Amino acid sequence: MVSHLRAFWRNIFKRENANEDLDEEVRGYLEMTAAEKVRCGMAPELALREARRELGGLEQVKQRVRDVRTGVSMDTVMQDVRFAFRTLSRNLAFSSVVVLTLTLAIGANTAIFTIVNGVLLKPLPYPEPDRMLMLWESSLTDRNLGTVAPANFYDWREQSHSFEKMAAIDPYPDFILNGAGQARRMAGAAVSQDFFSLLGVHMALGRDFLPEEDHPGSNHVVVLSFSTWESLFGGRSNVVGSLLRLNDADYTVVGVLPRNFSLASKASDYQSRNRFDLWTPLALPSPPEAWQRGSHPLCVFARLKPGVSLLQAQADLEQVAGNLQRLYPSDDKGRGITAVPLAEHVLTGVRVALLTLLGTVGMVLLLACANIANLMLTRGASRQKEIAVRISLGASRSRIARQLITESLVLAVIGGLMGLVLVFVAVPILIHHLPADLPRTSEIMVDWRVLTFTSLLSVSTGIVFGLLPFLQSRRITPNDCLKQGGRGIATSQFGLRSALIVGQVAVALVLLTGTGLMTKSLWELTRVSPGFQTESILTARLSLPPNYTNANVFGTGKHPRISLFQQALLDRVKRIPGVQSVAFASYLPMTGVDNSWAFYIEGRPPRPQGVFDVANYRPVSTGYFDTMRVPVLRGRGFDPGDNENTALVVAINASMAHTWWNQQNPIGQQVRFGDDKWRTIVGVVGDVHHEGLGTKPEPEMYVPYGQVPNVEARPMIVLRTSIEPASVTRDLRSAVSEVDANVPLDQIETMTQIVYGSVAESRFRTSIVAMFALLALFVAAVGLYGVLSYAVSQRTREFGIRMAVGATRGAILRVVLGKAAKLVSIGICLGLVGAVLLARVIASLLYGVEPFDVATLASVSTLLAAVALLASFLPARRASRVNPMDSLRYE
Amino acid sequence: MASPQSHLLQGTLDLLILKSLALDELHGMGTSRRIGQITNSAFEVKAGSLFPALHRLEEAGWLTSSWGETETNRRAKFYRLTKTGRRQLQTESDRWERISIAMASALRAT
Repeated sequence: MVSHLRAFWRNIFKRENANEDLDEEVRGYLEMTAAEKVRCGMAPELALREARRELGGLEQVKQRVRDVRTGVSMDTVMQDVRFAFRTLSRNLAFSSVVVLTLTLAIGANTAIFTIVNGVLLKPLPYPEPDRMLMLWESSLTDRNLGTVAPANFYDWREQSHSFEKMAAIDPYPDFILNGAGQARRMAGAAVSQDFFSLLGVHMALGRDFLPEEDHPGSNHVVVLSFSTWESLFGGRSNVVGSLLRLNDADYTVVGVLPRNFSLASKASDYQSRNRFDLWTPLALPSPPEAWQRGSHPLCVFARLKPGVSLLQAQADLEQVAGNLQRLYPSDDKGRGITAVPLAEHVLTGVRVALLTLLGTVGMVLLLACANIANLMLTRGASRQKEIAVRISLGASRSRIARQLITESLVLAVIGGLMGLVLVFVAVPILIHHLPADLPRTSEIMVDWRVLTFTSLLSVSTGIVFGLLPFLQSRRITPNDCLKQGGRGIATSQFGLRSALIVGQVAVALVLLTGTGLMTKSLWELTRVSPGFQTESILTARLSLPPNYTNANVFGTGKHPRISLFQQALLDRVKRIPGVQSVAFASYLPMTGVDNSWAFYIEGRPPRPQGVFDVANYRPVSTGYFDTMRVPVLRGRGFDPGDNENTALVVAINASMAHTWWNQQNPIGQQVRFGDDKWRTIVGVVGDVHHEGLGTKPEPEMYVPYGQVPNVEARPMIVLRTSIEPASVTRDLRSAVSEVDANVPLDQIETMTQIVYGSVAESRFRTSIVAMFALLALFVAAVGLYGVLSYAVSQRTREFGIRMAVGATRGAILRVVLGKAAKLVSIGICLGLVGAVLLARVIASLLYGVEPFDVATLASVSTLLAAVALLASFLPARRASRVNPMDSLRYE
Repeated sequence: MASPQSHLLQGTLDLLILKSLALDELHGMGTSRRIGQITNSAFEVKAGSLFPALHRLEEAGWLTSSWGETETNRRAKFYRLTKTGRRQLQTESDRWERISIAMASALRAT
């Protein structure tokens, strides 16, 4: 053992000494043999030659000794790597193209894998996630799943036997936090006992809720999210036991959730938000009250008992559902229960999309490998001589193969490392722009799985594209090569390579067309007028506390406290320097909130049972149309005279007027909502793209704030300013807190930001496709370059002869470019077919662009042709510069 | 060119080298000659097999080497058995004897 270590040390670090020793030793042997022969009477020269023959080659003997040395493998690896670096840096253009291709391909693959890993592969962040389910009420007729009535949840928990724990969350309660300074709105969630223990969460501080706190009257306790703890208490460790004033009641802080806690959910759960600021007990009365079977706000989680299967649990639940159908036919008739594994619930819908994405980048990587292999072959052809020399100098074939593979691996590893750098830069940007409906985005990060993936990818890539030159090298016989100057390798599989190029060009064209169409569509989209003037508007959300909203009863139309507050706030905000006008509205365009109501038109026959006339409902204050610059087309807008004491009025938009009155004048007509009061239409206003720039405006009816039939507890305030809108934020805050410090103000955004954000998803899609298109374009260009270079290197002699018999440089250039043109134009034709098919598929994503857009198709084809020409020009020029004398003498 | 010698049983060459060095230290050439001598010229070990084997055995710790002068005043590397080498020679000889007796009786059996 010790001797091995010593030998290893000597072989690696004192190689020069060891080699000199070996040389002297073997040389000594040779001389001794020769001397012996001389002693036997042979002539000295003959003796030396004879001794050499017997020895079988000085270098070969030495090499065989070196091959048995300890550490030899490591030694040769280092040697190979050093040699590879030398070879590669000598041909920098080649190496850069390969490394760049690999960087992009491996980078793209790793980036997508990072997302797939975080979203799909990582287990959910709970203990034994396989046993976790979500339970839904399901309609027995159409199998639709829905959230759960509290009383049903209570009965499920009482009557089922398959679950270790079952717990529910009500994601809707919001709290207004009063106390020091300005009030704040907090996103709350109410959870039943066992909720946190079912998830296996341990509090960072304090404790979980106690079972006795899950009852009405004793539920004024609160668990804080980690970020709430930091922002409210500055991360103070003695927070447990502190009091919080929420909705004008005192709550005791009992615990703080850990920093990394997140509730596994789809974006569609919990109204797009799963970031709760604070948690309180659900406190369901026991037994629940009858009305709690009629509303369905809860999401129910369950943990299976060990050893119980999903099927058994489902059967158990079916029995419970049968009981409830019999006991409460008015509420639960036709209502079943469906258990869905938590992971499936979260990931259904994104799995296929993500894996498709991964498959696509995988294909790009394969194409890149094929291209690099081509480049390697080109280079291999010119290196045949070198390899032949090395074989005749005693290098074994396996040694040559190892050397070639090492070169590929060195390239692949550099590409992989640079790809990783790319990923570290790109992933944060990518996460920032991910579509909002992708779950688990907070868990996307570069971890050991990603690093393993990248390493495996790099190494296997290196082996894949290194294999071809290796196979090529096996056909080299030193004799042939050295004698004939090396044109021994058959130009086989040229057809396959050409087909590959045609395919790559086609794919690039399809992706480029997609990018072109989507970019054009995005541009069209941003040119759409939203129906109001976006610039110079600041918006913010107000939340009216319970003492404002409790004083009203549905349908009275009188909200004295709210009116007073709004009037005071309007007066105060108008005095802010730079504010031109100000208004309130409940549902602002493109903020993702909406509401639609059924209405009846006076004098029209009643609609059949179950059919309603429905339009979107828009409570706004006086001055809204002015502030937003929504044009009044007919009649008038609202004025301060439209209040709770005057005749009820309504304004409708052009779409509504057109849908229900067509050519007639709707002004003066009357409509009513569920509150049975007739309201007179006093104006027709312009259409607004409420959902987004790409969707058609829908019928809307505006009602003045003073006359709304119900309470609008979360009005948005809208300011038109004569200066940069964001600059009045501070003044707006202080205005609100002067009027009432107990009214929280949040979601402060300019209208420009809101409109910009509304096309974010479309922009993300476009940039992803653009990324792929550029990658594909680059890959196709490299591929074309590789194939043509190879062809040129194979035909050097032919070009030499042609020129010797009179062909001009231009003619040679035309031969090579003509070949390129043939491949590219076939590729473009195929690509155009693909592009037309693709355009049909993405037609629903396009706005204002015909799927078959000739301008787009023409411009991307031109772009592709130009890039292809550039890629082919380099090898073509090389061919035309062949010196006929050199190329002929070379043979 | 496949000669009978090149098909020496695995380990035979090692054993022959160890045996040839049992009495005295020898250089490469000397080892080769000594093997020829003790095997009645049945085995002729070529440099291409000899030197790798010598180096391998040295790295295994069975031989040790030093530079010295030959009888003709030439610088040469001399190999000598180490203590473990001598033990190895003993074990290998015993094993080889057992095998050859067994083989001989097997071949004589009718």
